[in-house]
Amino acid sequence: MRISRRAFAAAAVAVLLPLSACGSGGGGGGSSDASGKVEGDITFQTWNLRANFKPYFEGLIAEFEKKHPGTKVKWVDQPAEGYADKISADAAGGTLPDVVNVSPDLVAPLAKAGLALDLDKAAPQYEKEYLPGAWAGHRIPGMTGTYAFPWYLNTGPLFYNKTLFKEAGLDPEQPPKTYDELFSAGLKMAEKSGGKVATLANVPTIEDFGRYGVQLMNKQGTAFSFNDDKGVRLLAKYKELYDAKALDPQALTATPESSGKKFLTGAVAMNPGSALDLGNFKKQAPSLYKNIGITDQVTSTGHVNMYVMGVMVNSQSKRKPAAVAFAHFVTDAAHQMSFAKKVAIFPSTAGSLDDPYFTKEDGSDETRVRVAAAKSLKTAVNYTPVLFSEQMKIALRNEVAKALQGKQSPKEALDNAVKECDRLLQQQG
Amino acid sequence: MALSGISRVRRQLPTSPWLFAAPGLLVTGAFVLYPFLSTLVNAFTDRRTLIPGQFVGLANFRELLQDDMFWTGLRNSTLYVLGVVPPLVVLPLLLALLVQKNIPGITFFRSAFYTPVVASIVVVGLIWVWLLDDRGLVNSLLETVGADRVGFLSDQWLLLLSAMAVTVWKGLGYYMIIYLAALGNVPRELHEAAAVDGAGAVRRFMTVTVPAVRSTMVLVGALSSVAAFKVFSEVYLLAGPSGGPAGEDTTLVMLVQRTGTGLTGRVGYASAIAVVVFVVTVVLMLLVLRADRKEES
Repeated sequence: MRISRRAFAAAAVAVLLPLSACGSGGGGGGSSDASGKVEGDITFQTWNLRANFKPYFEGLIAEFEKKHPGTKVKWVDQPAEGYADKISADAAGGTLPDVVNVSPDLVAPLAKAGLALDLDKAAPQYEKEYLPGAWAGHRIPGMTGTYAFPWYLNTGPLFYNKTLFKEAGLDPEQPPKTYDELFSAGLKMAEKSGGKVATLANVPTIEDFGRYGVQLMNKQGTAFSFNDDKGVRLLAKYKELYDAKALDPQALTATPESSGKKFLTGAVAMNPGSALDLGNFKKQAPSLYKNIGITDQVTSTGHVNMYVMGVMVNSQSKRKPAAVAFAHFVTDAAHQMSFAKKVAIFPSTAGSLDDPYFTKEDGSDETRVRVAAAKSLKTAVNYTPVLFSEQMKIALRNEVAKALQGKQSPKEALDNAVKECDRLLQQQG
Repeated sequence: MALSGISRVRRQLPTSPWLFAAPGLLVTGAFVLYPFLSTLVNAFTDRRTLIPGQFVGLANFRELLQDDMFWTGLRNSTLYVLGVVPPLVVLPLLLALLVQKNIPGITFFRSAFYTPVVASIVVVGLIWVWLLDDRGLVNSLLETVGADRVGFLSDQWLLLLSAMAVTVWKGLGYYMIIYLAALGNVPRELHEAAAVDGAGAVRRFMTVTVPAVRSTMVLVGALSSVAAFKVFSEVYLLAGPSGGPAGEDTTLVMLVQRTGTGLTGRVGYASAIAVVVFVVTVVLMLLVLRADRKEES
């Protein structure tokens, strides 16, 4: 009996001792000093790029290792699904790679936990190489510093089905440019098709509120403000679309993939996408491809939305000089340009968008999309606040859904969404 | 004195059994006990993914009581148990009775009924989304016969019912196998005696088969109720990451996933929800087993 108690106590200590160590270090941060010899082994993590760009990255790494003898880069690639969770696990477990492919919303919590290197301190000499807006894209409200090198930029055109436009009596050569035009086209199309053809398949996201001209956050970045009159007006208009079936009935649970499929089958007349989608249309829906219309994103501000990718350096890295040098190498003008020629993305380096590759059309749809996107990127805005987390996106989506279903007014819905997002923002610390 | 103490310990705690058990104990400790205790500890902290927590007592549990989404999750998980367990106790038994017979080609049917069990839940989810989508096969058939389309995946309640149907469909084969094993142990003489006494098929089923497999039914009830309360995949795949329209189809485990993961995840709060899920599943098991004991006595 005495022994079993002892054994139990020993087992309990063995189990409970590690518990006292649970939780990550967070907050401490590492030194910002990245000076010294570029050498040693580092790990570089990309976001779902190995499948399509393996030769490009292998060449890039070989080039870097040749330029800096004594360095070795281990490349790991993570699937798109659950990427944030993988980074969370690594960050919490202290196994975050030295150089990590991130988006601004992923950088924010890592920077707050002291895991992202402040490049304004560690590598300020590189700032001038990038577009000012792109460099600023990895700044965090409430913090000083820049926490990732800007990598590629992206923006997408809006595709529309010319046949459906014609059938609804709309001019297929004059697609809607502003939200007001979009709403009136949507209502007309729903009326003409007896509710069978919707114009849109997604509920408004934070980017829609931004493109509509809504002030998303206060200037200090301490509270959200998308429940202003403009925000309420936008949501009320979406409610009108939903009631008229100009917004697909399944929009409340739609994902980008499901709405893309609806567009392919002709159930929805307009869908956002990228130049990559043209190939899919050609392959999966040749009849749609013949009637595809390509236009700029709908915006009432004159500025389209821009997605920014970055390359972050782990502040806890034991090989900071090599990590900073490699992160810069991946994102410098020459390498961004060569990557852009392999895939429909756009460099964030100063002057790159003036390259004839982004300014001259050759008559093909692909070039037309590329040139138009590159042009719009010069004034594009990243409308997603860097502090807007996944939980906040769901909170907004759920409140928007309640408003569309008529369970609460647009004003109540947005007030609740802002309240919830502010609460989550406070909890982020 | 000391030596005799050690030898007494050696006598009472022989080494070799512990050495044999060590690999299992280590695995259980690392992957079962440690996460369990860690969750329990985290539930009383405000820990976040990247920020170690402070002890906050019962604050997470108090917050749960005021969280509408928690009550939505609790409601949906409970409804799931009520909607899924009765068909999963009864239908696989009937299916097992059907495929129990040794007739030519029956192996094909046994395998066919078991196929959904081994199919990946993601594949199953995708197939059912294609079937139940607004423009899916079922709605196309309905339209062909002149009926209106049904919003299986856009209506809050229909979506939950659809997810329940997927769970039942996927679970039938698994529980059928359990029942097949139990039916194999029912003495044939009992059926023959009942038949001699003039009992028909239904009566024989009620008076011979059901009592003979009653403990298996209890086991199936207990297993399926715990699984149903912890449902995640079916609802997630059909309702999407936001949990259906306005999140109204969110279940408790979906809420744990949504709240506790990601770089800004609230690990402490999600752990508190997980503790509630644990307590409810234990209570469910106890209730089922108690009902069984009462029935036996």
